[in-house]
Amino acid sequence: MANVDSDSRHLISEEENEVHPGPMNIQFDSSDLRSKRPFYIEPTNIVNVNDVIQKVSDHASAMNKRIHYYSRLTTPADKALIAPDHVVPAPEECYVYSPLGSAYKLQSYTEGYGKNTSLVTIFMIWNTMMGTSILSIPWGIKQAGFTTGMCVIVLMGLLTLYCCYRVVKSRTLICTSDTTTWEYPDVCKHYFGSFGQWSSLLFSLVSLIGAMIVYWVLMSNFLFNTGKFIFNFIHHINDTDTILNTNNSNSVICPSAGSGGHPNNGSLILYNDTEVQQFEKWWSKSKTVPLYLIGLLLPLLNFKSPSFFSKFNILGTVSVLYLIFLVTLKAIRLGFHLEFHWFVPTEFFVPEIRFEFPQLTGVLTLAFFIHNCIITLLKNNKNQENNVRDLCMAYMLVTLTYLYIGFLVFASFPSPPLSKDCIEQNFLDNFPSGDTLSFIARIFLLFQMMTVYPLLGYLARVQLLGHIFGDIYPSIFHVLILNLVIVGAGVTMACFYPNIGGIIRYSGAACGLAFVFIYPSLIYIISLHQEERLTWPKLVFHVFIIILGLANLIAQFFM
Amino acid sequence: MEESDSEKKTEKENLGPRVEPPLGEPEGSLGWAMPNATMKKKVLLMGKSGSGKTSMRSIIFANYIARDTRRLGATILDRIHSLQINSSLSTYSLVDSVGNTKTFDVEHSHVRFLGNLVLNLWDCGGQDNFMENYFTSQRDNIFRNVEVLIYVFDVESRELEKDMHYYQSCLEAILQNSPEAKIFCLVHKMDLVQEDQRDLIFKEREEDLKRLSRPLECSCFRTSIWDETLYKAWSSIVYQLIPNVQQLEMNLRNFAEIIEADEVLLFERATFLVISHYQCKEQRDAHRFEKISNIIKQFKLSCSKLAASFQSMEVRNSNFAAFIDIFTSNTYVMVVMSDPSIPSAATLINIRNARKHFEKLERVDGPKQCLLMR
Repeated sequence: MANVDSDSRHLISEEENEVHPGPMNIQFDSSDLRSKRPFYIEPTNIVNVNDVIQKVSDHASAMNKRIHYYSRLTTPADKALIAPDHVVPAPEECYVYSPLGSAYKLQSYTEGYGKNTSLVTIFMIWNTMMGTSILSIPWGIKQAGFTTGMCVIVLMGLLTLYCCYRVVKSRTLICTSDTTTWEYPDVCKHYFGSFGQWSSLLFSLVSLIGAMIVYWVLMSNFLFNTGKFIFNFIHHINDTDTILNTNNSNSVICPSAGSGGHPNNGSLILYNDTEVQQFEKWWSKSKTVPLYLIGLLLPLLNFKSPSFFSKFNILGTVSVLYLIFLVTLKAIRLGFHLEFHWFVPTEFFVPEIRFEFPQLTGVLTLAFFIHNCIITLLKNNKNQENNVRDLCMAYMLVTLTYLYIGFLVFASFPSPPLSKDCIEQNFLDNFPSGDTLSFIARIFLLFQMMTVYPLLGYLARVQLLGHIFGDIYPSIFHVLILNLVIVGAGVTMACFYPNIGGIIRYSGAACGLAFVFIYPSLIYIISLHQEERLTWPKLVFHVFIIILGLANLIAQFFM
Repeated sequence: MEESDSEKKTEKENLGPRVEPPLGEPEGSLGWAMPNATMKKKVLLMGKSGSGKTSMRSIIFANYIARDTRRLGATILDRIHSLQINSSLSTYSLVDSVGNTKTFDVEHSHVRFLGNLVLNLWDCGGQDNFMENYFTSQRDNIFRNVEVLIYVFDVESRELEKDMHYYQSCLEAILQNSPEAKIFCLVHKMDLVQEDQRDLIFKEREEDLKRLSRPLECSCFRTSIWDETLYKAWSSIVYQLIPNVQQLEMNLRNFAEIIEADEVLLFERATFLVISHYQCKEQRDAHRFEKISNIIKQFKLSCSKLAASFQSMEVRNSNFAAFIDIFTSNTYVMVVMSDPSIPSAATLINIRNARKHFEKLERVDGPKQCLLMR
């Protein structure tokens, strides 16, 4: 009777799966794989039963024991007692995101190691980081001064890269627990206890909600401009004469220069056309369009699973590539207009060194932000020993992209008629709504943001509700209230403070304070101290990084 | 000869009751022998072929499923296995209607539990003519001395009418031969039904079954091997089979309070189904009974590989101490103490003394309660 079982099988089968409130779908075709299919849960800490947040549900733990036991009752070839698909909890859905970049669902690796080549990993890191922060880089360079701006971009890239490297290495320094399934918030929890968990949740939410507000402002902006383009196209109106512009086919406008003269809605005076008046009344960038978006996006936020939206990830890449193309084309057409004045602003140019450079660092903190999911992204790398090299290359590519776009937009901005100070926080605003190329860019970005917005909402919901209530979808009311709060914040900002540069730098500096500057350095200091390898130079250097992070945040309020 | 062989086997394997040889068939061919004086009671586990009885038995009783043949339709071997639960021989020959002889192996799984109840597995309905005839001719023998009938319905079955028909014919046989038997119906494989429809479908079936079972009373459970419902159903069945369970629970409570235990569980020996338990405060994990049962059964399987048998276990750390030990001849006890200052020896002495008391409790209820008899 006992001979049926072969002696080579383990006493306790080792298989893999994570069970966590949260949403990864592994589909197997062959029946062989079904029998090897993972079901593993971490050993529960049965001593400390007062853990507020259970990582493993009772149901999963019972199922685990059941599957262990049943597997002992039959031969490996027998399929009778293998858990069917509908009974094993679906594997956790894994989303990687950068608040202002892309968000998408990651394909999980099934054999315990990743299958992505270095090139794919580098591209994925680049793709996740790239996003709407590109639009504010030229403005940031303008705020910092050209030379300062370029240097700051490179330096911030290096600094955030080092902190990212610290994040990746932080997991390996822990030898007391099995950290293979850990992400960065778990590492924080290990070192700082529940304070670490809650604070990392808080800062993560700050970045997510900040990003969602920025998205709402930008979506209203793009929707408004798109609508205006279509309206003007149908009615053959050319309204660039009313605003300060360069008066030629490659027109660039300076929307904020209307403070001395007529307001933006000056077209009301010139066109005594009731149709246009009606249109301008019902289609206003700060009064009505943000509200129209509610009807479109609020239902999408209430979906239980946003995996449908993560399929549109390709739009992000396409948008960025198109922006690069657009900027190059405009630069070719407009030519370069650069003059170097070091400390004194002139009528058309800004000084090379300005004291407002912290605004750029604030924007860049969020532009270079990937610390929350870099561990997951690098886990899929086939050759793990190349992780650091791939990370450096990805950061280098990102820095180059930012430098390229920032430089081209800033340099090609037609300075003799317009002042460099006119560069808008969203550089697409500098092109009139009648410009076809930027119209296409706006459409791309609009669609891309509309697909990323529900994903970010889902991630915010999972993190917040999952930690407070333990259930990512406690009831439709909780979810609705959360969504209303987020959408309300977005609408309010779109109506009263649509300065995306400002929103990005505040939320970036706040969120980056924790994830980019303080946690990696502090964790490194603590782990070195535990191993008694802490030396004075290292301590001083990392404390300096922490101080930089604090200064970054404080300076946002003063500069 | 035939008898002495069987007797030898009896000593070795301590089998259950024998069944009378079918009329007209040569005595030696299927290993039948005369029934003995103390009629042990049967638990019949019946249901359509493929409804999950063998898996269920394997899971509850921690048997290896010896599948020499695949279950692609009922093969003659499977059907013979069903017949041969009570055979004493390790092989037997079958002479079919044409005169060919086939020799088969018998499953060595004579499952006994709760003292001297023996589990018999029968495929009911859907066999070919040979089995149909045999079943009908042996009906009285099969249904005699039945203590419990557990009938398994596959919830996904497409032939509801036929299933009900076979169920009713079994009930008729029970009414004739063992009218005192308890009847349990398990609506099995419920995991294949959508979660929101499970309650509805089960209620429907339950109503139908209760109606069809009249005048007999049946209890219905919905089960699936992939959640806790199977364990709970069998635990309820076992609970209803214990004659003096209230008294047992009261004594268990006294015992627990005297030794200051957090929780005391009484398990049935073969299946580790919880017969009764006492807890002095709310426990967090509702699935703990099934988990403990699965862990210990898994451990028993490992022990059996070394030809060892599980006797007792002590788990201790700074927060609690748990003791699992043989209690009476048919039960195991598990005592959980959360006061680490009480030494193990003290608890073990307490358990030993309680053992004597509980054994007396079993014996006091005498021959009419043959369930817990030795």
